[in-house]
Amino acid sequence: MTAIYSIFGRISETIEKLAAIHRLLPWILAFALLLPLPQILSALFNDYYIYLANKICIFILLSVGLNIVKGFCGQVTVGHVGLYAIGAVSSALISLHFGWSFWLAFPIGILAAGLAGIVVGLPSVRLEGAYLALATLGLGESVRIMIAVTPLFGSSTGLLSIPAPTIGSFTFDSYTNYYYLVLAAAMIGIYLSFSILRSATGRAFMAVREDTVAAAVHGVNVTKYKLLAFVISALYAGAAGGLFAHMPPGYIHHNNFTIIEMVTLLLMIVLGGIGHIWGGIIGAIIVTIIYDQTLEFYFYQPLLFGLTMVLIVIFMPRGIGGMIDRYLATKKFIASQEEKSNAAS
Amino acid sequence: MDFDFSSLFAFLLFGVTIGVVYGIVALGISLIYSGLDIVHFAHGEIYMFGAFFGLVFSHTMGFPYPVALLLAMVCAAVLGMGIERVFYRRLTKGGGGYTVAGMGMIICGFGMSIVLMNIAFLIWGAAAEPFPVDLGMPFQLGDITLPKSYALTAVVAVLLMAALHYFLKKTKLGLAVRAVAANKDIAYLMGINVPMMISLIFGLACGIAAAAGVLIGPMQSVQVEMGYLMLLKAFAAAVVGGFGSLPGAIAGGIVVGIAENLGAAYISPNHKDIYAFLLLILVLMIKPSGLFGIVARVKA
Repeated sequence: MTAIYSIFGRISETIEKLAAIHRLLPWILAFALLLPLPQILSALFNDYYIYLANKICIFILLSVGLNIVKGFCGQVTVGHVGLYAIGAVSSALISLHFGWSFWLAFPIGILAAGLAGIVVGLPSVRLEGAYLALATLGLGESVRIMIAVTPLFGSSTGLLSIPAPTIGSFTFDSYTNYYYLVLAAAMIGIYLSFSILRSATGRAFMAVREDTVAAAVHGVNVTKYKLLAFVISALYAGAAGGLFAHMPPGYIHHNNFTIIEMVTLLLMIVLGGIGHIWGGIIGAIIVTIIYDQTLEFYFYQPLLFGLTMVLIVIFMPRGIGGMIDRYLATKKFIASQEEKSNAAS
Repeated sequence: MDFDFSSLFAFLLFGVTIGVVYGIVALGISLIYSGLDIVHFAHGEIYMFGAFFGLVFSHTMGFPYPVALLLAMVCAAVLGMGIERVFYRRLTKGGGGYTVAGMGMIICGFGMSIVLMNIAFLIWGAAAEPFPVDLGMPFQLGDITLPKSYALTAVVAVLLMAALHYFLKKTKLGLAVRAVAANKDIAYLMGINVPMMISLIFGLACGIAAAAGVLIGPMQSVQVEMGYLMLLKAFAAAVVGGFGSLPGAIAGGIVVGIAENLGAAYISPNHKDIYAFLLLILVLMIKPSGLFGIVARVKA
């Protein structure tokens, strides 16, 4: 256990050192390091794991987005998968029916998810927080039913052969090629989420989370920031949905957006630690892998995930991210104490 | 296009009866919300379990329907109290209400609902189980045939409502429950056993949900996935009626039921399950306090 902790400590120290040179440097380095992952995976295991890497990147994007509204701003949403579905379906529909390229359809999908976020979020966040949870629960299930019963959105057959994105003559039509796209998207998403956390907006979010009344007294427009957090996370969900829709083989079905997807998504955040960006990413990686490895026990999966979620909320409310944070803080404290005693003697 | 008034009347009537069932579930949700300031996300699954309990008691064990109804209510109440004792108590102890504990509570309830749904699936399977109850010939109201189960639902709902009202407003125990709902700390100081009252609130709410499940059994079949959609509609009913208001819950349920039936009849039957959500958003936009509610605006 300590070995894992010290690895995390070492990594965060290195990142700090690199960031001191230029703040984008660690990101570029991480991107370069992760770029040959498909080749490594196909050499070590088989090509299936490249697909898993794609999926992990998409879920990282989702979990980072969900963390903004849940972790930073303290608003509960349980229907995020609905926004994900809206992003996926609108992006897919635009490229299928109008024949527009991915680079046009993808932003429109993101905007559609953001718009849905405003429509649902605006009436709910003005009221007490529980209303957002209720409205998003409705959104998640209604969107899935809407997709399931409307022929235009694919109904029972799903949407087939959604075109893969292209740049010039390069097509992202295999999992290996698509990995470069989703990796870049996940990286940009994580970077933006850190930027938001550092900015005045991020501080306003956290003020709203800690105490709405105190935040309002200090001149934070509570409603505006609650809505903003929700819409930003909706944009993230729309982006993840668009990337999912165009992923080869370019097929989406309403079964991709069920309640079990919502549970895995929630579990990522809860396991990683609510409000902890790295925790959310670790949670996304762990949960996606477990979800995929336990697919043969499909019938028991909700039981496993639901029970894990309940137990984590009760016994480990800070999640993995909280544990790492606590370890690092303790270590720093011990080091400072030792320094003090050395100076004294 | 010719307009058939008698069929409109039939849709309204069916909407009202199905809406009463939504209202009963919403009653439980409102009760928990007004007592504990938390939203119980596993309530739909309690309702589903209630329906299955009723099915087991009346068909497998052969109890008459009213006895099965009561037994299912008791079983679901015990189940709900057990869940509250084992899981939710640890979270609400740290301070209920919509705080960080409230967020944990919602996530915990959501997880619990998945777990309960999966357990029911493992026990009873995914197939829709018919729940036939022989209540005799249907009523004839002009052109409309009204099955007796619909009338029974309305009667039981009114009885439940009256009993709950009597309990809360006229008995000493009900006074204690209302005191806990108003302020837990002061209730403690007045010598009320607050944890016991919270258990009682949960038990009552879950028992009521089970009654709804057993009542809807003869109208629709019983299946594992019924809880999730019911939760959605009951929430919509609670919001339409005003969150935390008990008569509002029933009224909201009726509005949702009518809207759903009229929408299914005149707009599109495929999208039937979405109208409740649209109504929810519409009410939140136009009149967030609902029909009978107090505005639950955060003071900020």
